[in-house]
Amino acid sequence: MLPDSITSLIAALAKLPGVGPRSAERIALHLVQTEAETVKHLANAIVHAREKIQFCTTCGALTEKSPCSICEDSRRDGSLVCIVERAVDILSIEKSGTFRGKFHVLGGKISPLDGVEPEDLRIAELEKRLTGEPIKEIIIALSTDVEGDATSHYLAKRLTRAGLKISRIAYGLPAGSGLEFADELTLSRALEGRREM
Amino acid sequence: MHLAHLRLRDFRNYARLNADFAPGFHLLLGDNAQGKTNILEAIYLMATLRSFRGVGSAQMIRHGQKGYFVGGKVVGQGEREIKMFWSARERNLTLDGRAVKKLGDFLGTLRTVVFCTEDLQLVKGTGRTRRRFLDLLLTQTQPGYLPLLQRYMQAVRSRNALLKQFAPDPRLLESFSEQLVKLGNELIRHRRELIPKLSPLARLAYRRISNDAEELRINYEPSVKTDFSVELAQVRDRERRFRATLIGPHRDDLQLSFNDKSAAQFGSEGQKRTLAIALKMAQAEYLTGIHGSAPVLLIDDVMGELDAKRRAGLLPLLERARETSGQVFMTCTEENWPRELGRELQRWEVKAGALHGAKS
Repeated sequence: MLPDSITSLIAALAKLPGVGPRSAERIALHLVQTEAETVKHLANAIVHAREKIQFCTTCGALTEKSPCSICEDSRRDGSLVCIVERAVDILSIEKSGTFRGKFHVLGGKISPLDGVEPEDLRIAELEKRLTGEPIKEIIIALSTDVEGDATSHYLAKRLTRAGLKISRIAYGLPAGSGLEFADELTLSRALEGRREM
Repeated sequence: MHLAHLRLRDFRNYARLNADFAPGFHLLLGDNAQGKTNILEAIYLMATLRSFRGVGSAQMIRHGQKGYFVGGKVVGQGEREIKMFWSARERNLTLDGRAVKKLGDFLGTLRTVVFCTEDLQLVKGTGRTRRRFLDLLLTQTQPGYLPLLQRYMQAVRSRNALLKQFAPDPRLLESFSEQLVKLGNELIRHRRELIPKLSPLARLAYRRISNDAEELRINYEPSVKTDFSVELAQVRDRERRFRATLIGPHRDDLQLSFNDKSAAQFGSEGQKRTLAIALKMAQAEYLTGIHGSAPVLLIDDVMGELDAKRRAGLLPLLERARETSGQVFMTCTEENWPRELGRELQRWEVKAGALHGAKS
């Protein structure tokens, strides 16, 4: 039998995303056999990161100082805001390097089955931004399942006001892949959203 | 298409089974409660990941064991190997040694049509049975149908959850209604296109196996008559009262009638039984037409219920399976196996969870 301290470490690790009971056990056994200094360093890094990181009060991104560097960046186009579900989605869009506007993190999507209502999301914050900032266009970039689509639809209705353009990112094929790899739903959506050339 | 090999471990009353099957006709003979139907159930499970007896996986584990394994080799255009393991803690499904990530990639590896006594519910039962029949057939023939159906059901469940709230936000309800209508219309279109193709096949099959001259009709009875969103708006007050989505493809039905009279209400027991078999035959014929090869037919004890004339009508279908290198598995007890099937069949004796090839 494993000592109690190891068992509780395994239990704590197993709560992390992507870590199953097997991996948790492996990591725990590795850690308790590693030099104390290295482990202390890891523990400090975790605590330090957790203490430093907060949500940007404006857009909801992960940041060390609020407002975050994207919100503060004057070279970015303040009239353009992209709505995403989670803070990590910003990283994906930033990696693409093509978006020069600002972001707004919703914090989820409306889900009547999981009891997530519009009030649980950062929609009111977005409405406040609409009155305070010179926003002219909103791009909705939520997931494309039923709840994501319904949330997009709801947002488009609720945010409608004079002088504001609202669009959603296109459904389509992954770049650089052939048609044979696309599933039927993606393909039919891509056909629906075709563009004139 | 045929099942060349079947492997069972701790499945129902089989501790272990390894059996090779050639194309053609296989007769599983044995007394009651020896495990004949369990073999059909295992084959059907590999095709659909469900039991045709309508039970969950936990009930298919051999008594006192932790989990079951079902594996098979399917020979069609190529050779595919299916392996599935199920226990309360772990489930595993692989195709040719690779984990199956999307259901749509797996379904269709093995196609089966099962004939069993529960088929009578297609005629006597509720609309749910007939919807499931349609959905299974469309899933087996239309690649995008299953994800579409799953999305639609998600929209129904979400919408129902909203309607259960004390005062649902009308804008939110409208957002989910929009999803419901969009996905629902696609489902309706698929179903509407299927019926005219299925109906003549069922009529032909019915005429072949029945004694009477009654004209069988199959009509699609959509819950939505013309415009989904308009009709949804019309039932808004009733939906608020019942707190559920009242119209849509999840309330569709099939109308089965003889000479324009409802088969369930006015048909005799014999007619209903024949009709149920005719629907399954139509399913098999339709699948053959679409895919170019016959599905594996699983016939569970239904021959015993039919008189000689009706059996004779079923024979051509079974004969054809042999000619097109298809495969038929049929369970029977020693007393009532249809001897008119002739000699060209492989007989198996099923006894206490073991399968033995028997000389014919």
